[in-house]
Amino acid sequence: MTQYALAIDIGGTFTDIVLHGPESGRFFAHKELTTPAEPARGVLSGIRHLLVREGVAPTDITRVVHATTLLTNALIERRGAPTGLLTTEGFRDILEIGHERKYEIYDLFIALPKPLVRRALRLEARERLAPDGRVETPLDPASVLAAADQLVAAGVTSLAIGFLHAYANPVHEQQAAALISARHPGLHLSLSSEVSPQIREYERLSTTVANAYVKPLAVSYLDALAREIAALGVTAPLFLMLSNGGLTHVEEAKRVPVRLLESGPAAGALAAAVFGGRSGARDLLAFDMGGTTAKLAVVRDGVPRVAHRFEAARERRFTPGSGLPLSISAVELIEIGAGGGSIAALDPLGLLKVGPRSAGSDPGPACYGRGGAEPTVTDANLALGYLQAEGFAGGTMRLDEAASGRALDALGIAAGMAPGATASGVHAVVNEAMAAAARVHLAEHGGEGAEPALLVTGGGGPLHGPEVARRLGLRQVICPPAAGVASALGLLLAPARVDRVATLATKLDTLAPEMLEARFGALEDEARAIIAATLGAEAGITLARTADLRFAGQGHELATDLPAGPYGAGSIAAIRAEFEAAYRSVFAGVPPVATVEVVNIRVAATAATGEGRLDPEIPATGLTAPHAHRAMRFGEAMQSVPAFRRGDLGAGQRIAGPAVVEDGMSTLLLPPGATALLEACGNLVVDLGA
Amino acid sequence: MSRIFDAIELELLWRRLISLVDEAAAALVRTSFSTLVRESYDFSCIVTDARGESLVQATESIPSFIGTLPATVKHFLRFFPEHMLEPGDVLVTNDLWMGTGHLPDITVAKPIFLDGRLVAFSASTAHAPDIGGKIRSPEPREVFEEGLQIPPLKLMRRGEADATLVAILRQNVRTPDQTLGDLWAQVVALDVMEERLLHLMRGHGLHDLTDLAREIQGRCEAAMRSAIRALPDGTYHSALQTDGILDTPITLRMALTIRGDEITMDFTGTDAQVDRAINCAMCYTYAMCMYGVKVCTEPHLPNNEGAFRAITVTAPPGCIVNPVFPASGGSRMLIGHYLPMLVFGCLGQVVPERVMAACGSPMWGMNQSGVRADGKPYANMFFYNGGMGANHQGDGIACLSWPSNVSSTSIEVSEHIAPLRFHHKKLREESGGPGARRGGMGQDILIEVRSPTPIAVSFLAERTVIPAFGVEGGGAGATGALHINGEKVDPKRQYVLRAGETIQLSTPGGGGHGPA
Repeated sequence: MTQYALAIDIGGTFTDIVLHGPESGRFFAHKELTTPAEPARGVLSGIRHLLVREGVAPTDITRVVHATTLLTNALIERRGAPTGLLTTEGFRDILEIGHERKYEIYDLFIALPKPLVRRALRLEARERLAPDGRVETPLDPASVLAAADQLVAAGVTSLAIGFLHAYANPVHEQQAAALISARHPGLHLSLSSEVSPQIREYERLSTTVANAYVKPLAVSYLDALAREIAALGVTAPLFLMLSNGGLTHVEEAKRVPVRLLESGPAAGALAAAVFGGRSGARDLLAFDMGGTTAKLAVVRDGVPRVAHRFEAARERRFTPGSGLPLSISAVELIEIGAGGGSIAALDPLGLLKVGPRSAGSDPGPACYGRGGAEPTVTDANLALGYLQAEGFAGGTMRLDEAASGRALDALGIAAGMAPGATASGVHAVVNEAMAAAARVHLAEHGGEGAEPALLVTGGGGPLHGPEVARRLGLRQVICPPAAGVASALGLLLAPARVDRVATLATKLDTLAPEMLEARFGALEDEARAIIAATLGAEAGITLARTADLRFAGQGHELATDLPAGPYGAGSIAAIRAEFEAAYRSVFAGVPPVATVEVVNIRVAATAATGEGRLDPEIPATGLTAPHAHRAMRFGEAMQSVPAFRRGDLGAGQRIAGPAVVEDGMSTLLLPPGATALLEACGNLVVDLGA
Repeated sequence: MSRIFDAIELELLWRRLISLVDEAAAALVRTSFSTLVRESYDFSCIVTDARGESLVQATESIPSFIGTLPATVKHFLRFFPEHMLEPGDVLVTNDLWMGTGHLPDITVAKPIFLDGRLVAFSASTAHAPDIGGKIRSPEPREVFEEGLQIPPLKLMRRGEADATLVAILRQNVRTPDQTLGDLWAQVVALDVMEERLLHLMRGHGLHDLTDLAREIQGRCEAAMRSAIRALPDGTYHSALQTDGILDTPITLRMALTIRGDEITMDFTGTDAQVDRAINCAMCYTYAMCMYGVKVCTEPHLPNNEGAFRAITVTAPPGCIVNPVFPASGGSRMLIGHYLPMLVFGCLGQVVPERVMAACGSPMWGMNQSGVRADGKPYANMFFYNGGMGANHQGDGIACLSWPSNVSSTSIEVSEHIAPLRFHHKKLREESGGPGARRGGMGQDILIEVRSPTPIAVSFLAERTVIPAFGVEGGGAGATGALHINGEKVDPKRQYVLRAGETIQLSTPGGGGHGPA
């Protein structure tokens, strides 16, 4: 019997379903339209279709992995449950007062994101803990029950409980939860000491409330999905992708659903890391360009960088600080308003700007012929000859060259440019916009270390990537096969992963190594139990310890990899040495400050899920001749450029630019001076030359 | 022959310039010790041309620095004209009048040479963790009490730091490692800008920045002039009173004149400077006035020299918005944060839809210093904000920093680093000014001292006497109040408190918009 793993990735437009045979290395993909009102429906019809098409029995499936944007959208569209908050007496407005900062300095008319729980549903309990977790005022049960009764009477179905300093001692939150669930057993509860046990009350409350807000939806959706997949005859367990790029089981996902928010993008970054690794590239800048946005993620040593802060439901999509702060671990992505549909226009200063305004898919670029009159990136690519009027988007659409030309000419006249120069300019400007965002992002994190390769995915990644790489001074671009379903493949290659955190907020040199060991040990036991519940007790677990450390007086911590335990004499000095080495690599020098503070300690437990082989079909001997020559513009002049079909190429074949390599969904643009090599693993690896 | 740039080339070059100052800013934020730099972007990075005229300013930067940094570079050029500058030099000053109006802001600048010619400066200002002198409060009477003054000097000559200057700096500040650490972080930012700029110029065949600067500055100047031209000519007056000192309010007066495509703002009639550290040096006055004009004319215009050319600010020497030596200015925001509202008072007469009612600002702060149980001294500054003014579109936002952008410190973190216990931090209901659209609420914070030894506390607190006014018929916000042990007290004084004593800060509400 051949065994298969099944991946389900629900995106805004399409639900990608992929079957993968780990032994054969073969995979089969199907795209189903997403059914937003009832997402499980699209999933089930997609699975049925793919199983029938490929003749695979439901019982041959040994693993199902799922990622979804459902919860993210529920936050953006405010479609969560009626949610209440129970917090420490005197502090119910913390959620509304926030950081007291603006995300935009020059706009008097900004709106801040409204708290997920309005004031009338934020109530208080009488209790107080000291910063070290000591009880200063014992929990008053009457105040807890009165608040819970009032909230339930007001229609609340999900309740967040968040007390001051609960990261140091969960006792009051646990007592309150026990009291409330005895009285109101149907109420969903989220405790800040479980969801995000970290110092800083606003972020912790915001995270706990977001968890409560999506929890009822997550529970009913995941239960229904698991039930219906089982009804198809699939007996394999269902796993969920987390924002940090790891997998977990359904019960854990239902307990803390806020950790699922970025599961789709996390899968994409993971897929990038895996595909890059197949060409020996462990340091990558993953670049995904679609219709309205481009996304960038940094992969270091084969692992996508994970940040421990994330922002959801931004008031302004591309403005940091305009969303709800969530202290969850998430693969770090930046999003730029640049895609195929981005509109090119002159700004009030007479500069040519591209994006963030987008023509979307309706009316779409002028060349879609649906009434779009403003020129877009896709129109420029068509005018430059990089895209073909025939065969766009897998042959589903014929592009209107005349409409593109009209739109670009109008812009060119306004800007005083020649027609060809306008299209080149749009292409260059959007590339520079993406390169500029990448440069600043790298600088924010200390972009030291090995020079990364640019790994390109999405409809626009292969077309724009080589030029973006050149602008960044990078020399290698990797274009993986099957870029269209890369995220879904990423799901199948993800390890199980559990992140756990605890706040210490103390000085490193006053820590007893035994105490530190005990704290880490407790987190590791918790993480191990979840992995065992996900993959079985025999799963081989890798544990990594990190700590958020800083020099006394600093306000930003540096996540530092720590030596493995158990800790004893000498461990504290070793931790300090690791911190100084990490600090030096990011910031160049170490300040002469004696005291190091430990803010949070973190454990990441991972266990491989058996990724197996992944072999795209590549002809043993490929065609060496292009299937066509096309007129394309590079620099000042049009020239005749060879076009290759990706499926025609054989392993080891080299192509010299200028050239294009086309597959159904995207076009790799090789500029003059670049060469591409098709590797046996299926990646096209571009060397941009000096 | 001068070079012409088309819409595309100019966009590409300009975007590169912005990304290089943003890269430098990111490097500075990452390495800085100052919480104000890291969390509140209390810093700035710019590139100027060889004459000190700015081309680009880092995207994230609070309004205090609009136009101050290029002015400082021009002062540097007076002290160190081109023939006295060499590659690898770094200039430094924190002069109250040539810098930003208070000593903790240290400005550095580096001349950039291409093929032996001075072509540009990279420059940066950042708020140092400490600069010596008295702990921040309105108390100092003269600048000498406020810390170490650094006249324009060479911090580095041909890449070598001046050991004498560094030794003097270290000796005069409470946190020598951190203050110097931040200064070197600023120098790294200058180096990043220099390296990227030279790479850009070589790559694009630019021998100097003259033509590019003319184009960038010219376009911004034209945009600002055209926005001003759309406003009706005339002279518009506004005045307001601040709480002042010793029960004496301070009156600020502005006459704003629109003539064609130019605006002049004049402060004749404003009260004289005082012997408290709330004097607002002309550089800061200028920045705050520019901010006020910008948000109601061309809010998204990049900050460069061209944006400011059509606007002039004048004030009689010796008045509180143009104080003369040896005035103190450490708490200059207690006057300065009122100035954009004075601009709104004038421009609101012609474009009422682009201004808002007064805010519960200047920002509030509480400074504590004392000795911990383990005998070590400590000092902390926490910031809190009042409500925003309402505007024609909606209610004012509660508790928001304006016109600055300083975050408030987490309660849990505060309780970790200071011997204090917070009893509540909540919205002040009914503190927003009444109106068709209500002013933003202030907040009420009750703090108990838990220190076994006495601690000294001082405050930044305004609008405890004179509230934030409403506009278009809207009412004023509630005044703020400071209570110690339940009694209303003078917020401009320092207090020594013992365990069990309480401090209550009630920040002011914003003004309302339209009749209720």
